[in-house]
Amino acid sequence: MKKPAPRETILSLFSQTPNGFVSGAQISTELGISRTAVWKHIRNLRQAGYNIEAIPSRGYQLIQSPDILMPEAIQAGLECRVIGSRVCCLDATDSTNLQACRFGDDGEAEGLVVVADQQSSGKGRMGRRWESPAEVNLYASILLRPAILPFDAPQLTFLSAVAVCRAIMSSTGLQARVKWPNDVLLNGRKVAGLLNEMSAETDRVNYVVLGIGVNLNMRKDQFPEALRYPATSLAIAKGHPVSRLDFTRSLLQEIDALYQAFLEQGSEPVFEAWQQLCDMTGKAVRVDCNDLLIEGVMAGLADDGALLVRTATGKMERVYAGDVRPA
Amino acid sequence: MEIKDLRTLVKMITDTDITEFEMENAEEKIVIKRGPEKEYVQFAAAAPAAIAAPTAASSAAPSVTVTPAEPAVADDKYETINSPIVGSFYRKPSPEADPFVDIGSVVEVGQAVCLVEAMKMFNEIEAEFKCKIIEILKEDAAPVEFGEPLFKVERL
Repeated sequence: MKKPAPRETILSLFSQTPNGFVSGAQISTELGISRTAVWKHIRNLRQAGYNIEAIPSRGYQLIQSPDILMPEAIQAGLECRVIGSRVCCLDATDSTNLQACRFGDDGEAEGLVVVADQQSSGKGRMGRRWESPAEVNLYASILLRPAILPFDAPQLTFLSAVAVCRAIMSSTGLQARVKWPNDVLLNGRKVAGLLNEMSAETDRVNYVVLGIGVNLNMRKDQFPEALRYPATSLAIAKGHPVSRLDFTRSLLQEIDALYQAFLEQGSEPVFEAWQQLCDMTGKAVRVDCNDLLIEGVMAGLADDGALLVRTATGKMERVYAGDVRPA
Repeated sequence: MEIKDLRTLVKMITDTDITEFEMENAEEKIVIKRGPEKEYVQFAAAAPAAIAAPTAASSAAPSVTVTPAEPAVADDKYETINSPIVGSFYRKPSPEADPFVDIGSVVEVGQAVCLVEAMKMFNEIEAEFKCKIIEILKEDAAPVEFGEPLFKVERL
């Protein structure tokens, strides 16, 4: 087990204290450092935007945490077995997926989370861009090394979609829905886009990167004029901003729990949860598969996650890649 | 037999100490052999079977390749790069970009030759040995099956 950073320990002491007060002596004992060193860490936290008050004879009190994504704040008291074992937060990057893939190529252990405040070339399908302005949203990529066959890896796509819906529910109470394979919708508008990458040999997965973009506090004027699919953010849907930090922590915990279930029980629990979150089953859909347009009724998921569409002629089509929208 | 069932079967067998397995019925015959030297699955069926180049067998991890009972490619001078997943085959990283490789391209070990997408999981297929691209067997954006050959290549 890696020893947590002093900052992380201090933040988790605050989160574990019911009345909110942590004495300097307590921190000093916990970290095995001098009172002067404690004071320096508190000063650094204040400089990072933490509002910490010092009340004589009672100790330090954390009044407010800044809504910035920092490894210590994300990891403090995080209830995860694998995800978030290492967290890398970047101010700006090309794409968190690219960064996570580089870590993967360099042999980084699974569970790594790469988060960026903004992306200059966030990835979408077919070379499309994922709009990634600074300070408002979550752009994250998670590195996994499951001992599964490459053939089964695409099933992980459904895992992150379910996790995002659950994190939205726990941080806002809003019921998000999924659209095949892994778009997340709020009131029929896209709120999250997920894109995964895999490095594999014939018979083994080197790594999988789950790329997750969630529109948290993006304002209406920050969306590009021409979007392929109508979009929204949690703040627009909820009417007030949400904490990026709380959302991120909740998301990582949901992914961790689903990933454990996936490793132990296979894709069934994930598929079941996904189907319950999908309200397009039984409805008319149009699927744009590059040059081919498939129209019919969504019949559900095949056992490998393919989209089943029954066309007017009664034929059952299996779709592995395409853009789905309600007809 | 469906690929899914074959996969389950291979998994079941690789979880045990069984080194040889044979099964035959009216339509098909399945032979699975495991060992440090030869590790392969033979799958003869009425439907066209998937073809794979021999891969380096590792003694630790159970390695599986699918080879036809009657080779469809007569000249064994060439090998193929196959799709490890079911999905859509893309020759380019994005629609506007240049193709990863063309006929005649010489690719190094680990160099990407194409993308296969399944359910928004993008798999960059890399060359497992240095080779020259002889033939591109699939159209851009075409659907591909598990184990289906994507490129005919000459090992260098």
